[in-house]
Amino acid sequence: MTFYETAGVWVAALFTLAIYSFLYRENPLYRLAEHLVVGVSLGYSIVLTWQRILYPRLVQPLAAGQEWLLIIPATLGLLYITRFFPKVAWLSRYPIGFLLGTGMGVSFPLDMQALVLRQIHSTVIPVFTPGTPWDVALGTAVIVLGTLAALIYFFFSKPHKGPFFGLGSRVGIWLIMIGFGATFGFTVMGRISLLIGRVQFLLADWLRVIH
Amino acid sequence: MSGMNANTWEKMLNIDRRWIFLMIGVVVIVPFFIRMGLPVVPTDEVRSVYSLIDTLEADDAVFVGWDFDPGTEAENQPMGIAVLRHAFSRHVPVFVTAVSPLGQGLAGQGLASVFDTRTPGNFALVRWADWEPFRAAGHAGRDSLEAAWEAAGNALPEGALGWVFEGVDFAHLGYQPLFSLVILGMGSSIAAQYPTDVSGNPVPEMPMLHAHKNLRDVDLAVTLAGSSACMWCVIYGNAKVGLPVAFGVTAVMATDYFPYIQSGQIVGMMGGLRGAAEYEVLETEGGYTQATGNAYRGMDVQSLAHIVIILLVILGNIAFFAGGFHRKTALKARR
Repeated sequence: MTFYETAGVWVAALFTLAIYSFLYRENPLYRLAEHLVVGVSLGYSIVLTWQRILYPRLVQPLAAGQEWLLIIPATLGLLYITRFFPKVAWLSRYPIGFLLGTGMGVSFPLDMQALVLRQIHSTVIPVFTPGTPWDVALGTAVIVLGTLAALIYFFFSKPHKGPFFGLGSRVGIWLIMIGFGATFGFTVMGRISLLIGRVQFLLADWLRVIH
Repeated sequence: MSGMNANTWEKMLNIDRRWIFLMIGVVVIVPFFIRMGLPVVPTDEVRSVYSLIDTLEADDAVFVGWDFDPGTEAENQPMGIAVLRHAFSRHVPVFVTAVSPLGQGLAGQGLASVFDTRTPGNFALVRWADWEPFRAAGHAGRDSLEAAWEAAGNALPEGALGWVFEGVDFAHLGYQPLFSLVILGMGSSIAAQYPTDVSGNPVPEMPMLHAHKNLRDVDLAVTLAGSSACMWCVIYGNAKVGLPVAFGVTAVMATDYFPYIQSGQIVGMMGGLRGAAEYEVLETEGGYTQATGNAYRGMDVQSLAHIVIILLVILGNIAFFAGGFHRKTALKARR
């Protein structure tokens, strides 16, 4: 390992320990590490955005006297900075409006197609067709009935009483709770995975007691 | 239990949380020294991602998006490394992208890990500038390039699984802002969105761009995400140009995206460290790697930590009910 690689590993290891020191109690080392994460991430992002985007795709073409149309998006972008000056802060609404408008225009039809229509389409399916294996049919039944039950639970225009709304909402809430349980289980797994990743780094890359 | 009074149950329930942290810490460290090798059985969701990449050849192409930040590196990075290794083994060209500036750095680390000669099963990297004379001589096809490269006296380093030519086998395109719009733009031209790669090499001149000019020429996009950024590939890639998409997401997110497998909008999903471990197992079974990697090793630890957490939950519930606290409105917190 080069000197810089070794130094990088030491910095990463010490800041990992500084962050984990919070588990004992809040302390200045933890706060230092926390603030550095925010600062370094932002600094890195600004430099990279300048290096990868602003300089080669805006400054360079304009400096070379090409692509004068870039002045329009550049001006719109610069208007964001007017938020820092109360008298002209209203100008920042133009780039925000432009982004919201184009963003909605571009994303709305595709969002509807990908997130709503395709999902409805995949739920409106026959529960059983001849030749379907019983386990697939059971899974399909759970999808169809489970979706209906969950929707009934969120239907508040009728009291949740009787065989349809009463039973449906009870089944719905149970299924929702099972979903929450699965999500929580995955969350625990995810958090432990993050700890494993850091411990693996400390033991392998820093202390080198495992390979 | 009858011998234990309510005070003991209360003490159990009010135990200083730092003891629990310590217990989890010990359980997470010790298994690294005592390898148990608990079995990891690949699930259908992971197997379908693996199977699709396993059918791809050198004239196909894969997008791998490093769409996560360092906060979820432990879960997402092993997935990326496993997918890269699989694609490079099959000579499938890989476009590497990132939706955030930090993701670009992590993608660089992932590639560096695959090319690291100290890593078992590494690949020997040939940088764009290094094979310039061969390019000038007209060796743009992978097979002829590799033959000419080796004929020129370049021997594959010991332990390396093969050559990886920058611009032929992979292009590290890096970060671009507003990635949703970038995906739409790549529907027409990849090179227009990424005129240069992260090293400043001209992307339009790369041989892999000649055969794969836009997203319609790409066979799979694997998005490794720690946020809902993975959905951009579904919304703007799959819905717009029919791009097949696979997810590599954190465990926290996994349950949200199972419906997209069922609807056929994604071909499969690696969920958390376990998903990465399953992919490593499949690669080992497929003969692409001699041994599994970091994710698989982490699964022993994961299993033990889960057992401890389950035991703590059971103990907590026993103390709660045996102490009669279910009849009281609040516990006395004494920390």
